[in-house]
Amino acid sequence: MISEIIDIEFFHPSAFYIIGGLLIPFLRGRVRQGYMLLVSFLAFFAVIKMPYGVHGVHEFLSWELTFGNVDKLSKVFAYIFTIMGVIGVVYSFHVKNNGEHLSAFYYVGGSLGVTLAGDFLTLFIFWEIMAFSSVFLIWYRNIPSSVDSGFRYLLWHVVGGLILFSGIMLHYSESGDLSIQYLPFHGWWPTDISSLGYFLIMIGFIVNAAVPPFGAWLPDSYPAATVTGAVFMSAFTTKTAVYALIRVCAGSEILIVLGVIMAIYGVVYAVLENDARRLLAYHIISQVGYMVAGTGLGTQMAINGVVAHAFCHILYKSLLFMGTGSVLYVTGTAKLSELGGLYRTMPRTMVYTIIGGLAISAFPLFSGFVSKSMTVAAFGEEHIMWAFLGLMLASAGTFLHTGLKVPYFIWFGKDKGIKAQEPPWNMELAMIIGSVFCIGLGIFYNYLYALLPYPVHFKPYTAYHTWETLQLLLFTQLGFFLLIKKLWCEDTISIDTDWFPRKGARTLMWFVNKPLAMLEYNFVGEIYEFIIQKPIMRAAEFFRWVDTVIVDGFFSGVAELILRWSRQLQSVQSGQIQQYAMIMVGGVIVLILITVILP
Amino acid sequence: MRLIDIIERLRTRMVKKIAYCILVLLILVDFIIPRHEIHFFGDSIPGFWSLFGFISCVIIIVVSKWIGHHWLIKDDGYYDQ
Repeated sequence: MISEIIDIEFFHPSAFYIIGGLLIPFLRGRVRQGYMLLVSFLAFFAVIKMPYGVHGVHEFLSWELTFGNVDKLSKVFAYIFTIMGVIGVVYSFHVKNNGEHLSAFYYVGGSLGVTLAGDFLTLFIFWEIMAFSSVFLIWYRNIPSSVDSGFRYLLWHVVGGLILFSGIMLHYSESGDLSIQYLPFHGWWPTDISSLGYFLIMIGFIVNAAVPPFGAWLPDSYPAATVTGAVFMSAFTTKTAVYALIRVCAGSEILIVLGVIMAIYGVVYAVLENDARRLLAYHIISQVGYMVAGTGLGTQMAINGVVAHAFCHILYKSLLFMGTGSVLYVTGTAKLSELGGLYRTMPRTMVYTIIGGLAISAFPLFSGFVSKSMTVAAFGEEHIMWAFLGLMLASAGTFLHTGLKVPYFIWFGKDKGIKAQEPPWNMELAMIIGSVFCIGLGIFYNYLYALLPYPVHFKPYTAYHTWETLQLLLFTQLGFFLLIKKLWCEDTISIDTDWFPRKGARTLMWFVNKPLAMLEYNFVGEIYEFIIQKPIMRAAEFFRWVDTVIVDGFFSGVAELILRWSRQLQSVQSGQIQQYAMIMVGGVIVLILITVILP
Repeated sequence: MRLIDIIERLRTRMVKKIAYCILVLLILVDFIIPRHEIHFFGDSIPGFWSLFGFISCVIIIVVSKWIGHHWLIKDDGYYDQ
């Protein structure tokens, strides 16, 4: 009925978020809540209505920009991104800061733009919009460590973006084609120019997928973000990168190795972690490891598994971030060493978080079971046993931390007598929606399988497979309770690969401040003064005479004018990099709008 | 019944005993579970995944803690020094 009234072939779902978001700063209270919910629902319906095919092609200079490349793969990602958009909006209803809503909207819009992009240039533009809008979700936390962390986040993504861009340019100079194609990278290192292009594109993607050693930005920044910001961030950046990897790099064997390493690496760090949200961040790395490995395998079953897993992962991981975020919101801390005994005051939040924990651990009847097992089974089918066993090991670790350690130390453990209550109604509602999805997808998995890019022959609930998983998980639980004394948390941090840039930058700054400054001041400065400054001063003396006597009269009027202009321009130069970044993002968006609107 | 009461009920020794019984049952039933696809030797051994799960858990905890204490763990203010 509705489709008969409104008959628009293709309406880009990003447009709802990016153009619709502009109204948010002018609205307040319930009106704003209703408006945000409406926009996020409209974007979801736009995705439902998207017909398969290529839409939104615009000429820009000598290039063809394609904004709407819709096939089964991009559509399923667009579905989950818009569903997550609705959940995230509900969870952040209570937030008063308009800027936070706006950056979340641009972030979601950016990821939808990447998903539907048909050429590398469009992909790159939305890729950068994602980075520059999401960093505000960190900065709006407004504590000193989050400001620092936001800058580091931005630096990682700018570097990753530049690597991606150089790869795209190399590929373009070789092939003269910018459309997004399947460009797998084979081998361990690039051997010629075109494979260097593929290699750089892959590296650009895996920086955003948080593949070690380029993944340290994720556990650094997500726990530094605002309560609601982290919920958005847990869903979009890495999964958009997984989408891009599937589309461009599926079947690159190196990804299998990186993915399995990544799955175990995240688990190892999670053992050491004290901050619950950082622990979950390491588990994003671990879970995305399954997806990266499956993408590297590249068989139809593996790709189906990866897509299904990305879909379920977004839902359960955001649920987990919502649960721990609620604890942070109510108690003011997410450190396990400071929490304990909250089951008396926040029992419902506990139930939601445990549902998320069971889903991520792939417990039968929960969403992770129907998706993770498909990816892992794909390795079994291909008889790559080291990867299969490595991923099974990581599964045990996942349950150990997210299913057991996090709930145990927050809600049980030592009762610290913290005053707490359940979070506001909207946060709880969002967690209920997330929980319903986590259980619903585990039971009615056929609806999910129907959305996957290839036909599915995999059956999750065979007797042996269910039994295999139950044994693995319940005996992990036995291990947890036997070794629980070893797992008590201390208030420490663990160094990651960002040690190199962070400590390296310190050495560089020392070098600049001490030897280099000394050299410049004592040696270069002296020479400069003797050879250049003194003769110039003499020449200047002469010109000053010319100037004051002849030129001044004419130009004092002009100077007055320029002074007035520059005073006005000065107000733009606030010296705040955050504001510059916002202006740049605004400029890019205006440019995009111009290309789209102009014929 | 309130949610808290249910949680308190679940924290008794009785539940713990039931949990141990379930673990034993898991291994026993594994002897008669039909196996369709055997990918490697572990799939044909009853109780293999129980052992794998338990050993994985122990290895992950012990090895990670060892690496952590010898190398990775630093004070909270490490980067500010």
